[in-house]
Amino acid sequence: MFPITQNSVSGDRSLPRTILSIFALAGLLSGTLMVPISAGAATPPAETEQAPNWRPTATERLVKLPSAYLNKAVERDFKDSGLSAAIGNTNGKIRAKERTLRDFQAAMDKAEGEVLTELKHQFLAEKQAYIRLLGARQDMSRQHLETKAKIYGKILRKLGNKGSGQSSQKAKLIERQKTARQRFEGALAQVDVKIFSSGVAGESKYSAEFAKNVNAIERLIQALAKHPMNAEPELNGNPISKADYLRGLVANAEADLAILDQEESILGYMAKLVALDAMALAENLEDVTSADGGNTIVSVSSAVDFFASQ
Amino acid sequence: MNTIIKNTIHSALLAVVVTIGVTGSAFAGTIENLERERAILIETFFSPTLSAGERNEKVAVAKHRLVDLERMVLRDSSLAGKNTPAVSKAFSNYDLTFLVHASIEKEKFILDHWLEQLGITTQSVMTARVGRR
Repeated sequence: MFPITQNSVSGDRSLPRTILSIFALAGLLSGTLMVPISAGAATPPAETEQAPNWRPTATERLVKLPSAYLNKAVERDFKDSGLSAAIGNTNGKIRAKERTLRDFQAAMDKAEGEVLTELKHQFLAEKQAYIRLLGARQDMSRQHLETKAKIYGKILRKLGNKGSGQSSQKAKLIERQKTARQRFEGALAQVDVKIFSSGVAGESKYSAEFAKNVNAIERLIQALAKHPMNAEPELNGNPISKADYLRGLVANAEADLAILDQEESILGYMAKLVALDAMALAENLEDVTSADGGNTIVSVSSAVDFFASQ
Repeated sequence: MNTIIKNTIHSALLAVVVTIGVTGSAFAGTIENLERERAILIETFFSPTLSAGERNEKVAVAKHRLVDLERMVLRDSSLAGKNTPAVSKAFSNYDLTFLVHASIEKEKFILDHWLEQLGITTQSVMTARVGRR
């Protein structure tokens, strides 16, 4: 019911605006572009602003990085990007909007009459803004994940190209060199005993210095192997190659994108519910307006009091 | 502060690159040195101007030097996958290139081992007949 008071006047004035806003919300169903009408509704991100971006490049340095550091380097690059800042900013707005929605819910529990209707309208507008913010975050998250999958794919290709450029002759040579070194290592002690223990001549300068350096090299290699930044990635406790690790990262990014798709359908359902709520509110308001008697002809006798009192 | 840390890291990386470059170039020519010393050793074996004592002395010195040179080649990481004729030829026959190591491994005298690798054995020499080709 809308009693004819100062409040009701403002309520009447806001009524078409409310209905318009609700119908605009209902436009969600048809997917039309909505214009924020209510002053309480959040303003959409400015179209004129430059879209936040993240454009990493698969440099040679990135390809050569240890597997454990690779992911961290990409994530660090993302954290420094405008896209990451925009996602963080939107997350903040989403949290604030959630608090507002909770406040509206609490207020609606206590309100009644016209105030309740106005609160319902505001609540719907806030929900619309909330969904819009979620949508914006989804878009940016998609951009992040797609870029991540792309960069890991590029690194994987570069890694593949390094090995594939090897000719069969070169591969044979590498194999022969490997066999030669294995044979040499196997006969090393035997040669040392035969040559340097013969008494003809002692250990050469090269051998002595090399043995000394080998100890230092082995200690350094051990330190390198134990270094956390050089740790080989593992899958179920088993060490995996860099290519396998990269393939895993690409698969993870793709999986996150699939989840994002699912979340988008949730957003769609939420938007649909808001639109249906808006339509239901509009229906109720029409009922209230007609029950209020806004279109009924007021009797002339009822205005007699304004004149008779003089 | 961050800039200082970044600069320090860049300097360290540059130092690593420079060190690797220097190390790589220091090993250049190991195969050539080995080939030269091996040729001198074989020449010593067949030199008609040397007495037995002189030959033994020269072979002992050359053997020591060759051991080191062979090890330098086998440990030379810059040769890994370097598909040049010299490298390819050197690794195509371990027994001929790394003569000292291979002969000791097979418990043979260097010259015997070298001749055997060329297909010249006492038996083949003894059974050989003089004739027109």
